[in-house]
Amino acid sequence: MAERVSVTFTLNGERRTFTVAAGRRLLDLLRDDAGLSGTKEGCGAGECGACTVLLDGRPVTSCLVLAASVEGRSVVTVEGLGGASGALHPFQRALVEKGGVQCGFCTPGVAVTGAAILAQGISEPGERARLLSGNLCRCTGYSKIFEALEAAREGSNG
Amino acid sequence: MADPPARPVKGRRSKVEGGSARAADRGLHATPPGPLGGSHARPDASAKVAGLTRYVGDLALPGMLHAALATSRVASARIRSLDTRAALAVPDVVAVLTAADVPGQNSIGAVFGDQPLLVTDRVRMVGDRLALVAARTPEAAWIAARAVRADLEAIPGVHDPVAALDEGSPTVHDGGNLFRTLRVVKGKIDSRRSKATVIVEAEYHVGGQDHAYLEPQGCLAIPEGRDRLTIVASCQCPFYIQHAVAKVLGLPLAAVRVEQAPTGGGFGGKEDYPSEPAACAALLAWHTGRPVRLLFHRELDLQVTTKRHAMVVRHRWGADAKGKLQFAEVETFMDAGAYAGLSTVVAERANVSCIGPYAVPAVDVKTHVVYTNNLFGGAYRGFGAPQVTWAAEATIDKLARELGLDPLEMRRRNALDGMARTLCTGQKLVGPVLAREVLESATRMADWDAFRASRPQGSDRLRYGMGISLVLYGCNLHWGGQQLDRSSAVVILQPDGSVIVRVGLTDMGQGNLTAAQTIAAQALGVAPAAVQVWQPDTTTVGDSGPTVASRGSQMSGMAILDAVARLRTRLDPVAAELLGCAAEEVELGGGFATVRGQADRRVTVATVAAEMASRRLECIATGWYRTTPREFDSETGQGDPYEFYAMACHVARVAVDPELGLVTVEEVSAAHDVGRTIHRQALEGQIQGGIVQAMGWGVTEALHLRDGVLVNPNFTDYIIPTAADAPNINIAVLESDGPGGPYGAKGIGEPAFIPTAAAIRNAVCDALGLEIDTLPLTPPTVVAALGDRHPLAWVLEKSR
Ligand code: FES
Ligand code: FES
Repeated sequence: MAERVSVTFTLNGERRTFTVAAGRRLLDLLRDDAGLSGTKEGCGAGECGACTVLLDGRPVTSCLVLAASVEGRSVVTVEGLGGASGALHPFQRALVEKGGVQCGFCTPGVAVTGAAILAQGISEPGERARLLSGNLCRCTGYSKIFEALEAAREGSNG
Repeated sequence: MADPPARPVKGRRSKVEGGSARAADRGLHATPPGPLGGSHARPDASAKVAGLTRYVGDLALPGMLHAALATSRVASARIRSLDTRAALAVPDVVAVLTAADVPGQNSIGAVFGDQPLLVTDRVRMVGDRLALVAARTPEAAWIAARAVRADLEAIPGVHDPVAALDEGSPTVHDGGNLFRTLRVVKGKIDSRRSKATVIVEAEYHVGGQDHAYLEPQGCLAIPEGRDRLTIVASCQCPFYIQHAVAKVLGLPLAAVRVEQAPTGGGFGGKEDYPSEPAACAALLAWHTGRPVRLLFHRELDLQVTTKRHAMVVRHRWGADAKGKLQFAEVETFMDAGAYAGLSTVVAERANVSCIGPYAVPAVDVKTHVVYTNNLFGGAYRGFGAPQVTWAAEATIDKLARELGLDPLEMRRRNALDGMARTLCTGQKLVGPVLAREVLESATRMADWDAFRASRPQGSDRLRYGMGISLVLYGCNLHWGGQQLDRSSAVVILQPDGSVIVRVGLTDMGQGNLTAAQTIAAQALGVAPAAVQVWQPDTTTVGDSGPTVASRGSQMSGMAILDAVARLRTRLDPVAAELLGCAAEEVELGGGFATVRGQADRRVTVATVAAEMASRRLECIATGWYRTTPREFDSETGQGDPYEFYAMACHVARVAVDPELGLVTVEEVSAAHDVGRTIHRQALEGQIQGGIVQAMGWGVTEALHLRDGVLVNPNFTDYIIPTAADAPNINIAVLESDGPGGPYGAKGIGEPAFIPTAAAIRNAVCDALGLEIDTLPLTPPTVVAALGDRHPLAWVLEKSR
């Protein structure tokens, strides 16, 4: 059967090793092998952003990343955004507070991208909108997601 | 009449006006302090942001098998034979089933029996199911599904709902392609035509839409021994699934338990359709004796699920010299696709909504439901109303242009109000009629007059326009669905004062859990956090009909209020004893039971709950609600199709690049007649989400069908709005006392969607000074409409 490979990387701050089929997607490793089902599959084609995770701090669509390619790198999923304590990231809290969550299926990906936008200190609205445009949301119309980004930025500045 | 709302603050993203101060101005009934109308955190939000909510795809059981579907890739064929041997030979495949394996009825139609679960002799649309597969891995299941060999003999199909009615057109079912015609007939067209000084005739081609919920269809079927089973499904209507699965498996209803999983968006696409995957998974679970999970991948979901109906709408409308509408003739051809599904039900709403909130003395409406070999139409937010609204609002603008009237003025002259309150169905509106108020409010937020006085010219090549759309929305189910219009709730007071609530209506993201929690907390006088609303399960509440037609909050709320009233027949006497007052004097609020008028005489609700428990009193109550029966003549379309109505007005401002035909929606100002706000943030979320989804329908979301095959089944080619496309949104909320649901609330989910695309169309036509009668307004459509006026027409001309 398919060739299997071993891959070791930092997952939400913890060093982990998995043995996976060479063609396995990072998304499947996370959901099925690591049991982190917060990362969602909305299209499997890099179009919707529901599967977004941070790879060395940059948002990527994990449905298009081969699991074997993250050897030695750092992956953060929605479950790990708030750090080791299991607390929520300020943007996650702001999404709750501002009503930026409806069905919630896009939310893990939105939370990850938003956290990256905040970490980069990007505040220009047009630039933020372009960065968030890789995360489709069919429910909210995005207004309250933008409000939450703004609130989290103000929160972290103050 | 309402005081003018405060001017909204302008700026990036949503600005919101209206609220409790204005509610007080309008003399609304006072409600005791509580969470009603506030914005406490949604109960489901913190798990969702943390990635802890378990959707169907996140559930797995030991021994669980994975299902896949073998579906037809052509739209019209005779089936000569089916060969499943190659599929069965794929490693890890456990079962391959065909129609012969259905123990009950091989029939899945929501209303009519025209659709088989598994086809036997005839393919009528792409996606018709040939066989079902269960395997140990999803990969094996889908490989096997592709290995099912069907020997098909192509037969000519029909793909246009107008041509489908031609003599000699291929027929989709025996009995012809015209499935139904609905009518509205009022007044004398002929005598009114002579009074009309302008007459507009038009044919509108209004495209369909995919729901594009972010979570594709999915369900899990779990056999419970040999004679019953549980289904966990991403769905809006667990009771529909219960009925469908019982029919297919030949089981009593009580043997089928359906639990709604947290659902990643629905918009109507998880009303009727999920019964099909659920029946497939159930059949496989039944045969294998193992749990079976069926998850659609995106391409399949786009390719085979129901769509918003494409329609052709023909108009002949006339107005007199003063702009008063005299008559309206409407003939609509609804593309039902290959099966009736919910099409006749969608047609009922389209049929009575096509005149809008205008007083028209003579009306003649024909709404045809037509079979074709296209993907079948189903429920989609707005349910037929957005298409006919798009046409109606276009015609209103055309009449205004012919008469040299401002489109705002044209609507002012015809909108229903406190004096003219009779709909085209002859129904007389009860209570405040706020069509004019929403019209004035939305145009004021949009700066309508200022925009028209000094339209931005722009140094660039962009052209700017503004358009209005005014709608009337019949709340809840149409007369034709009255038998489904009841709801159930269960309220259990725990000994610690916390409360369990179950309702028969679902949350698919729109906020029904939040609304139910708010209403229960308000009624019991406790904090929202004390109330836990659990997802519906057909074994814990009564059939409450579908969660559609913006009825979730209303129907949940009314049943909860009934349950709380019944619970209080036991709670109040205990509280009264503890307080030393009469039971009639007990009031609940702020977490306390108090003596009316004496706030200092109080005990906590938790103390009362503990006392009830210690006395072994019944702490559970059920609630039930039925809407008021109505009369309606389906031959003439005269009568009371809906219980009550909500008005909405959207004004869109657009920038159009005429060279590229590119439409940018810069701002939408939305005014809504909501009755009463239950949860402010959820209400705004519905409006913002509805506007952006409708913008997608109106501008970019073209379903490209070739011979019934969707050729753009992915999010690269089927373009839904992104964060970068979202317009500024201004919102005005108008509250009023009138007929409504709990505390006077009216539905918002659909009224938030219906007006937007028409407002955008009118804005684009305003910007370009021409008429476009085809939706969506994609670049090719806009460029084609410009014709000789395209900036590069001279080049295009030469290169021909
Ligand atoms: S699932 Fe990866 S982008 Fe959609
Ligand atoms: S909240 Fe449903 S897709 Fe974003």
